[in-house]
Amino acid sequence: MSTNNGKDTSSGYIGKSVKRVEDKRFTTGNGKYTDDIVLPHQTYASFVRSPYAHARIVNVDISAAKNMSGVVKIYTGADVAGVNGVPCGWQVNFKNGDTMKEPKHPLLVADKARHVGDAIAIVIAESQEQAVDAAEMIIVDYEELPCVVDGLKGAQAGAPLVHDDVPSNICYDWTLGNPIEEVNEAMSAAAHVTTLEFVNQRLIPNAIEPRCYNSSYDAFNDNYTLYTSNQAPHVIRLLMCAFVLGIPEHKVRVIAPDVGGGFGSKMFHYTEEALLTWCTRQIGRPIKWTSTRTEAFQLDAHGRDHITKAEMGFDNEGKIIALRVKTFANLGAYLSTFGSCVPTYLHGTLLQGLYTTPKINVDVTAVFTHTTPVDAYRGAGRPEATYLLERLVDLAALEMNVDPVELRFKNFIPPFDGVNQPGYQTQVALQYDSGNYKGVLEKGLDMLGYADLRNAQKESARNGKLLGIGFSTYIEACGIAPSAVVGSLGARAGLFEVGQVRVHPTGKVSVYTGSHSHGQGHETTFSQVVADKLGISMDDVEIVHGDTERVAFGMGTYGSRSLAVGGTAIIKSIEKIIEKGKKIAAHKLEANADDIEFASGKFTVKGTDKSVGFGDVALTAYVPHVYPKDLEPGLDFSSFYDPTNFTYPFGCHIAVVEVDKQTGKVELKRFVAVDDVGNIVNPMIVEGQIHGGVVQGIGQALFEGAEYDDNGQLTNASYMDYCMPRADDFPMIETGTQITPCPHNPLGVKGAGEAGAIGSTPAVVNAVIDALWSGGHKVKDIRMPLTSERVWRAMKN
Amino acid sequence: MQLTGKHVVNALPSKIWEMLMDTDTLARIVPGISRLEKTGENKYKSIIEIKMGPVNSSFTGDLQMEDIKEPEGFTLKVQQNSKIGNANAAIKISLLPVNENSTEVSFDGDVKLSGMLAAMGQRLIGGVSNTLTKQFFSNMEKELQSYVAP
Repeated sequence: MSTNNGKDTSSGYIGKSVKRVEDKRFTTGNGKYTDDIVLPHQTYASFVRSPYAHARIVNVDISAAKNMSGVVKIYTGADVAGVNGVPCGWQVNFKNGDTMKEPKHPLLVADKARHVGDAIAIVIAESQEQAVDAAEMIIVDYEELPCVVDGLKGAQAGAPLVHDDVPSNICYDWTLGNPIEEVNEAMSAAAHVTTLEFVNQRLIPNAIEPRCYNSSYDAFNDNYTLYTSNQAPHVIRLLMCAFVLGIPEHKVRVIAPDVGGGFGSKMFHYTEEALLTWCTRQIGRPIKWTSTRTEAFQLDAHGRDHITKAEMGFDNEGKIIALRVKTFANLGAYLSTFGSCVPTYLHGTLLQGLYTTPKINVDVTAVFTHTTPVDAYRGAGRPEATYLLERLVDLAALEMNVDPVELRFKNFIPPFDGVNQPGYQTQVALQYDSGNYKGVLEKGLDMLGYADLRNAQKESARNGKLLGIGFSTYIEACGIAPSAVVGSLGARAGLFEVGQVRVHPTGKVSVYTGSHSHGQGHETTFSQVVADKLGISMDDVEIVHGDTERVAFGMGTYGSRSLAVGGTAIIKSIEKIIEKGKKIAAHKLEANADDIEFASGKFTVKGTDKSVGFGDVALTAYVPHVYPKDLEPGLDFSSFYDPTNFTYPFGCHIAVVEVDKQTGKVELKRFVAVDDVGNIVNPMIVEGQIHGGVVQGIGQALFEGAEYDDNGQLTNASYMDYCMPRADDFPMIETGTQITPCPHNPLGVKGAGEAGAIGSTPAVVNAVIDALWSGGHKVKDIRMPLTSERVWRAMKN
Repeated sequence: MQLTGKHVVNALPSKIWEMLMDTDTLARIVPGISRLEKTGENKYKSIIEIKMGPVNSSFTGDLQMEDIKEPEGFTLKVQQNSKIGNANAAIKISLLPVNENSTEVSFDGDVKLSGMLAAMGQRLIGGVSNTLTKQFFSNMEKELQSYVAP
């Protein structure tokens, strides 16, 4: 029996823009999100949250609320005082070797609120409305305390303390690269030093689906089920069971069904997940909490928020000879799950960029403030590093009056494929896998028509508009991550991935992956890979993810890792299946297993026309009446794949802007993105990722930013106040690709999820600065987002 | 947020002072007050209804007069709570004689907002406070017509 009859499986899926199989359910309203799930005896939760950034909680009076109609139970900080807080997954040490400061992040606060939105009490009721009404009747007596919201001010002497036992609010200080003395010496010999002091502003992730959790406890079987809008359900189970609640993992099932976007913000273990799971055990009924949009603004871990001084030294030929960086990273009020590694190992390690800079030193001080915790957000540290480097290079070109393109060509690391030429060892711990950096810039310039634009720039200055061209040539470390490497850098977990491939007796295939899809299209891309490798139809492949009971283990989706790490784990299992299949085929064909080759869904005796189909072999494995003696029945393999290195996608983004001299309004005229993400399985999905990322990155450059006032109030916590980019803010994005395969994974893929958001931001800001210089305004920096007011003021000063 | 306003009224500081010290009159002058209850020397409990764009909200809390210098002025300490957030303020109220029968009434203070008021209301607050300021002075003019010292 063959399941492949009549279907074209020979042409191959890899490299084709196959339409996304998941879109049918999403576009017809049939996606199943956590909030869609209503369990028998469901209850609903609402929180009492601090309106103050810093306040002592004098008293919490629940007497009126607890007798209200529909109220099931109310818990306050005192009730969970004995429960652990949520943990941090990455340990960074102080320069002197001391462990970073890890103040407790409690499920509910009892003593003090440390940021607006800190949870004081949870109300559980029969309906959502009753829970909200009762929460409003809880009277909290606060003693408001002074607060600090700025990372630099937070570390100054006399700043209000976020945690009494963290002196100067400093979580850690940290350094990487060459010894500072060597960098200082190199810098002092520089013919030109470009200095830039800037803010990489705080961003709010804004996933379209607000966070939602539904936790239930089955007293009869003593086990729990947590539905969660999360990117890494196994990680949540591990953190919640082992570090917060002390529940054996086999008693807890965590399911992340359809999830509507995350951008990093849904990979962290939030207090609400653990609290709901603790509460459901107490009341014996399922509890659901759905974040309001205001809560999403105030509580979903924010991104970026660095205050940096960076200096780049050049010799008299324009070669970069030194880079010195000092950054204050705002961590918010508590350490979020990966908050500690973002400004360090995901930021400092990327400061080589694409350049041969021989001496680099980066110094980071991570600071607690009375604000929402900060963690990974699309790019996570790498956008901050790219912004720093690319702004410096374009600004240096302006200051030295050389072409930014020429300056880059002069400083690029020469091409290397990682196979015939070794990888490139940076000054900041990483070893790049393969790259052809001048290639992407050359391609970008071709697409742009560079020379013509420079001529147009001269014309433009005469008629009221300033034309600017900005470049960004970026690199990122993706495919996170080789466990031994990250372990030596402080990660408290391995970052491998799991892929199980189960061939059913009929030759249909279920694939269980630890990667999680929340917009990435894994059900399509992974199916393409599996169908091609097994020579079957995509229709015969099912991708299962997001459920700890169905998938053995998984580290989840973030850091552009799904295909490079998760995909490779699946490939490893497919290799095992083919190897076993060959033995079964050899037995059936009365040949030696070494003489069997597998291609296009057929096991063939080399050099003959004797063959047996994949479906026949699958059936034989499950109905082993005629079967090799020394072989187990069944066709089902699982693999844990731990990558040997990060992957290093790179690219060139070029922005062309027009600045109105009268109003300062910036209009993005063109955007060229040439990305090298290694081999590509589905070009349409990769292009979609680039488009989305580019728009998110430009959102930071021109529109977005969390604004705290001096009292620690987030003043733009709604879509009326927080400016999101819209389609009509953009020209059509011109995309191009170059392919330099990754040498250390079988698909040769590098990852495309974050590239757009990493490369685009500095390109746009550089273009605006370039426009201003063309009009004689020698401005070094304008604080993002570049609103017309800020650009106008920059031209006036 | 800074809250400022000034207006010249045809009355002597002493008469305005009397009005502001009279609980019932004060309740009619301050916009939105639905209940004002004297709880002690220079202390009041209040319920204030304010409409802010689409939101109608009821604030409850304390008002307290400090730094009292009759008839030049005083500082009004405001601590008001509501479902949509809390407001804290210290507003200095001054009565400055302009000539023999008129007085410049002015106030100047800093208002700290929290909760949803701070997160979403900042856009509306400026407009709301302008409206309330106008109402405050027009209420005062109206009360002056009919006010008879007790």
